[in-house]
Amino acid sequence: MFGRIVWKMLRGGKGRIFVALLAVTSGAAVISALLNVQFDMQHRLAEEFRTLGANIVIAPASGGEASGLGGPSASTGATVPILLNETAIGSALEANRSPDVVASAPFLFAIAHVEQTPVVLAGTWADQIPRLNPTWKLDGQWIDSRTDESLCLVGRTVARQFQLSPGSNVTLNYIGRTARLHVAGIIDSGTAEDDQVFVNLPVVQGLIGTTNGVGLWQLSVSGTSANIGAYAARLAAALPAASVRPIREVTEAEGNLLHRTRLLIASMVALILVLTALCVLATMAALAMERREDVGLMKALGGSIARIVSLFLAEVSVLGAAGGLIGCIIGILLAQWMGQRVFDTSIAPRWEIFPLTIAMMVVVALAGALPLRLLGKVKPAVILRGE
Amino acid sequence: MFARLVGESFVRNPRRKVLTAAALVLGMAVATATLTVALEVGDRMAREFRSLGANLLVTPKSDTLPLEIGGVDYRPVDEGAYLNESDLGKLKTIFWRHNILGFTPFLDVPDVFSSSHQNAGRVTVIGTWYEHEVPVPDGTRFKTGLSVTHPWWTIQGRWFRDGAPECVIGKTLAQKYPGGISIGQTIYLQMEVSDARRYGAMRLLPFVVTGIASTGSAEDDAMLVPLSFAQEISYHPGQFRQLFVSALTKPADALAARDPKSLTPTEYDRWFCSPYISSISYQIEQVLPGTDVHAIRKVADSEGRILSRISTLLWIVTLAALIAAALAVGATSAATVIERRGEIGIMKAIGATNALVNSIFLTEQLMLAVAGGAAGFVLGAVLARVLGSSVFGSPAPPRLVLLPVVLGLAALVALIGSLIPLRRAAHFDPAPILRGE
Repeated sequence: MFGRIVWKMLRGGKGRIFVALLAVTSGAAVISALLNVQFDMQHRLAEEFRTLGANIVIAPASGGEASGLGGPSASTGATVPILLNETAIGSALEANRSPDVVASAPFLFAIAHVEQTPVVLAGTWADQIPRLNPTWKLDGQWIDSRTDESLCLVGRTVARQFQLSPGSNVTLNYIGRTARLHVAGIIDSGTAEDDQVFVNLPVVQGLIGTTNGVGLWQLSVSGTSANIGAYAARLAAALPAASVRPIREVTEAEGNLLHRTRLLIASMVALILVLTALCVLATMAALAMERREDVGLMKALGGSIARIVSLFLAEVSVLGAAGGLIGCIIGILLAQWMGQRVFDTSIAPRWEIFPLTIAMMVVVALAGALPLRLLGKVKPAVILRGE
Repeated sequence: MFARLVGESFVRNPRRKVLTAAALVLGMAVATATLTVALEVGDRMAREFRSLGANLLVTPKSDTLPLEIGGVDYRPVDEGAYLNESDLGKLKTIFWRHNILGFTPFLDVPDVFSSSHQNAGRVTVIGTWYEHEVPVPDGTRFKTGLSVTHPWWTIQGRWFRDGAPECVIGKTLAQKYPGGISIGQTIYLQMEVSDARRYGAMRLLPFVVTGIASTGSAEDDAMLVPLSFAQEISYHPGQFRQLFVSALTKPADALAARDPKSLTPTEYDRWFCSPYISSISYQIEQVLPGTDVHAIRKVADSEGRILSRISTLLWIVTLAALIAAALAVGATSAATVIERRGEIGIMKAIGATNALVNSIFLTEQLMLAVAGGAAGFVLGAVLARVLGSSVFGSPAPPRLVLLPVVLGLAALVALIGSLIPLRRAAHFDPAPILRGE
């Protein structure tokens, strides 16, 4: 009986129900789309920030980044270069693999000479360079192997100084040893890397006569500054002989910006939630008002107020749930579109949004039907007379 | 008569107006707040990005190849070209001078002999500014230095005062220096050889350690002194090697990507008068001849990309807020009209035309919309202030430009919201409505 009455009520005033459903659906669509984007935003923005380059550096425990430097300062005996063990770090990184690590590469620096002019030579895994520094511009080709010993990438200033172009050859001298290299590409970074020559690690190791030494290790890790800090701490625990530290300029600015953006969007989403709730509330209140005569009639026929009110509440919850469900589906599609528009990738649909939005819509719809309770107190005769 | 009808409606039954008015005030407040923030946010976010530090690097044009590893130049001081400190004030004379938030010159002196009480060692000395007043050609002074361009550097103790024989020691250097270095101690630095030749004797300059700096990069392994002292030690008075500039810029677009030489005169003017990183570096090159100004690609590019993403996201959210506000106002207006169908019945029964009924109701809604919209604007401005100070630390100023926009929007949605049920009411026969059916 109860179910039948609710069903009849829903079937009855098609126009009004449709308007109410429309209001609930559009509200739910806006809310679920924004919630979906809000949930996914942090992840997407964190990925964007990886264009800033490395954010964790592993260096020898004592001594700065200049370790591994041969040349002027080493020759004066200022710093005896302390090197890291390539295999030890490699296996520690392997043991602490994480999908958040976007790029990772060792570096070994030396000051070599090209036609009597000293130039900084950086030995690394050349295949990781574009991933570590996605903003660098390249004229020519990247080196896509980390073992190749014949190719090099040269910085813009170096190329200008020695009139190098992709395809030309360059000879590097390091205290008696030489390496003949083929220029694969020219790098434009805007920073000190414009003054360096990049080769694969074995080339520099061969020149300075170490088999397993690296000067430092750079990692580009995606995530919030807390995540990055936690990952750095894990690596530090695994590598007691080295100093693992987040690059502060990158992680701090990143954390700050992420925090502010999230706060901004979250507060705007909260405002929109309030408005949408108000919209659904108003529609439901109007629907309840229209039901006044029905309430009067039911009361005149001897229905208890509790029963009448529960009938209407059931109707309203069905509306809320149905609108919420349809709205969620539309909302998730909307979120996909927003993802394409803002981040150029689709946003992963979050299924927890479904129960959240539907519950919210039902609660708001029920709140909108509350004026019915007050009407229940009115005498049926007065309502039936239409006053 | 018409005015009285409308007036009486407000006076006699204010309760019925409450819902619509509340929706209007709230909806328009949200619209005002989100629009204010969206208009403001590009500038605010760009400022936030400056916490990434400098985005432009100025170096001498005819220079030998710098031997820079991890931020420290290992070239001997008598090699390579230098820039003049006295020219720096000119940076604040370019077209986009207000977008230059700060700049810091650096002079690296590698391999300086140093001694403390009993111990001695060789250190890298970096001369720079922390908070330095630069005279600008227009007669004013501009305060800038590390505090602006390198805000993430932290210090235990305090920074050196400009012009005082004080120094700040990098964290790593403080630990590894023979015997260690602590705050309050005095370190002696030896003048360069060329100076000794000139004066025939070795000179030692005393520096009081005022703090231990943590920078997260190569400066942790160096000693930082005021620029003037690094110039004295290296015997390069009034000179420096590198200048880091932090400038507020606009994300690059199609125009910024083109070569300035290929632009037509109008396009060139537009390019010159937009704060693109390329136009600002061009302007800096003009006032500092003989320099090479590069955009620090990782900072400049990331900044542009992320800024444009955030602003697109924000505009979409603002649009959603506007739609939600319109829906809320429309729904409540419709609810009010439906609630008052009885009244419509009576009016029609005593001979009112549909046009008259519509105009009475629409006038009411319009008056509500104007009042509610204005109240919403005020509330929204307050909301924007709160939002601005909680998110960016400083309130967003109210924008009067938005007032007509918000009022127009309020009137439009209130009218549309009530027109739909009014059209439906027009088809009704007054009799069944009055009977309460």
